Amino acid sequence: MKGGKVKLVLIALVTACMVFPFSFSAMAALPGKVVIGGPISLSGKFAKEGQQSVWGIKAMEKWVNATLGGVKIKGKKIPVAYKYYDDESKKEVVTNLMERLITKDKVKFTLAPYSSGLTLAAAPIVEKYGVLYNSHGGASNRIFEQGFSFIVQTLSPASEYQTGPLEMIKKIDPSAKRVAFLFQDNEFARAVAKGAEAKAKKLGFKVVFNRTYPKSARDLTPVLTELKNAKADILIGGGHFADGQLLAKQLDDMGINLKLVSILVAPTLPNFYQALGTMAESYMAPGQWGIGAKYSPAAAKKEGIPYFGPTQKEFMKYFLKESKGVKPDYHGAEAAAAFLAYVKAIDAANSLDPKVVRKVMNKLHFMTFFGDWKIDPKTGMQIAHKMVVLQWQGKKLQIVWPPAAQTSKPFYPMLTIKQRKAGKLAIVK
Amino acid sequence: MEFLRMFSGDLINGIILGAVYGLMTMGLSLIFGVLKVVNVGHGAFIMVGAFIAYWMFTLFGLPPLLSAILALIVGIALGFFFYYVVMKWLLEAPELSTLLATFAIGIFLAEVAKAVWGPDYRGYSWNVGSLNLGVTTIPMAKVYALLSSIVIAVALYLWFKKTRAGNALRGVVEDKEGARVCGINVEGYYALSFAIGIGLTVMSGVFITLFVPVGINPYMGEVYTIKAFVIAVLGGLASPWGAFFGGFIFGLVENGSYAILGLIPGVEPFSLTQCLAFAILLVLLLLKPEGLLGKK
Repeated sequence: MKGGKVKLVLIALVTACMVFPFSFSAMAALPGKVVIGGPISLSGKFAKEGQQSVWGIKAMEKWVNATLGGVKIKGKKIPVAYKYYDDESKKEVVTNLMERLITKDKVKFTLAPYSSGLTLAAAPIVEKYGVLYNSHGGASNRIFEQGFSFIVQTLSPASEYQTGPLEMIKKIDPSAKRVAFLFQDNEFARAVAKGAEAKAKKLGFKVVFNRTYPKSARDLTPVLTELKNAKADILIGGGHFADGQLLAKQLDDMGINLKLVSILVAPTLPNFYQALGTMAESYMAPGQWGIGAKYSPAAAKKEGIPYFGPTQKEFMKYFLKESKGVKPDYHGAEAAAAFLAYVKAIDAANSLDPKVVRKVMNKLHFMTFFGDWKIDPKTGMQIAHKMVVLQWQGKKLQIVWPPAAQTSKPFYPMLTIKQRKAGKLAIVK
Repeated sequence: MEFLRMFSGDLINGIILGAVYGLMTMGLSLIFGVLKVVNVGHGAFIMVGAFIAYWMFTLFGLPPLLSAILALIVGIALGFFFYYVVMKWLLEAPELSTLLATFAIGIFLAEVAKAVWGPDYRGYSWNVGSLNLGVTTIPMAKVYALLSSIVIAVALYLWFKKTRAGNALRGVVEDKEGARVCGINVEGYYALSFAIGIGLTVMSGVFITLFVPVGINPYMGEVYTIKAFVIAVLGGLASPWGAFFGGFIFGLVENGSYAILGLIPGVEPFSLTQCLAFAILLVLLLLKPEGLLGKK
């Protein structure tokens, strides 16, 4: 009797745990449709970024079917469908799900999961089956240095992330020479750091501090004490959201005033400001995209390349419908752009054969609301998309660099801790 | 001179971090000590506490120190609930069953939190000034976290040693059958210790936000579960006081060793601090397998 109760309790618990995550996964795969899909994080540490990605892709699935009627193959329009499973932000789950998507669901055009680590984990699986793999959240350059032939990239590679702030500072304040690097020790941030270091040396900056902190660190005080002594002008660093937010918080707690701080990921999300209030003013971050970015049919015409997909206004409309009012950040936009890239490439290839589509992708150069899309034919790495630098100014996230994409001029030097504590806003006059 | 300044600053910060680590682990050790249940879902309860602090502050402006009382009450209620609904039926089952059950409870709590509050990272700013100690500047919120952790640890110690209920609970830990013969309601004390253990854990979530007031999200507990296990083993798995001291040692090593390791050329000191903390754990376990304050 007692054994029966034990079983009953265990069964109930396991069922409850299985029902919750799966209730948020889509399962639909309709015949007669071109299925584009992949594992994505709807639970675990990347749930926030994964949710944005799903909203972005779903928005484009709806736009493509409503506006274009799907992809055009041999004169026939076939609707597109998005299929995804929750990878729980875990490598082992990602590989299992990717195998399932390819072998059971017969997906030939896969979208990579969020983050460099997860993207790298599933890459050998897609390579084994010879299906296409489009990275929208895996920026690390190392992914594209493995010799994989079916992987392409929609977002800018990690090595480009923190080069924008350095270019900007060189232009607006050549006297600021002392740069400090403080990155989380992970796949993505290591690649960002490598790119930023090379750029800093090229531009003639003096690297006065270069450290990393482990993923599990919950107190950055020791490394920040050392940073304080380095007397840097500029701090470039971060990893993902939580540690980036902690870095900003503890910089202020320890009274470290700098002329410019650019942190990965964290400042690009509204929750950064919500958590820190006016202490978030004038913090910068590199971004793949920002609301207000000036990529449009007119900009494409000026560049001499075709424009594909919705305008930013249309994207916003479809996205907000999917997210029920939550605004897109760059994670949502880059995932949407990856989906659009597949549609454009399948259309251009007039084929559903991944090998044919991959070949055609090598020749494509077009613009979406997210920016340019063009890959290096050999590695599949993105070479045309440009990063932007975002900054919190007067409670709004503005694009401050490059000048062509600016929604506001940079606020420089950043407000002091005392000014931010007093509630001063970074308003450009 | 500069080195000494950095080193002493790191030590002070290590003590504060250690106090919060210690408090965070006491609940885990208490539950293991009495019920012999390893709570793998420990971190999820810390997450609940962190969310209580966040919501109370952002919705009602309630200072985290007051939220701690609410968190204790919510935690105790959750403890009783999960004890009577789940744990009670599994106490005589093989150890793997309780391990699986607490793991499932952890996932369940995280997924419910995500369904209700979403996957966003949240945070709040409780600005109550800072304390300049010359060698380092410490936000007062962290000082409050340190003082609160010590007060709670001492209060729990006194409750165990000086009260009738505490004595009865110690009796249950020493000899379950003997306690039953003496008329002690063993099952009742099982429920009470599980509830207090969970209550302490949820409350520690509030104090963790005094230390790290950002990055609050449904999955934040994972890293704390791992650290709590290490600290619990360091202190002696069944000893809440050992856990508290273990937390101090872990915090001191993690932060305090940074300045020393930074003197070694070509190494990343922060990566090595964690390595050193685990190395010390290994050495200690070799010398004293039962942990700092654990009994053979």
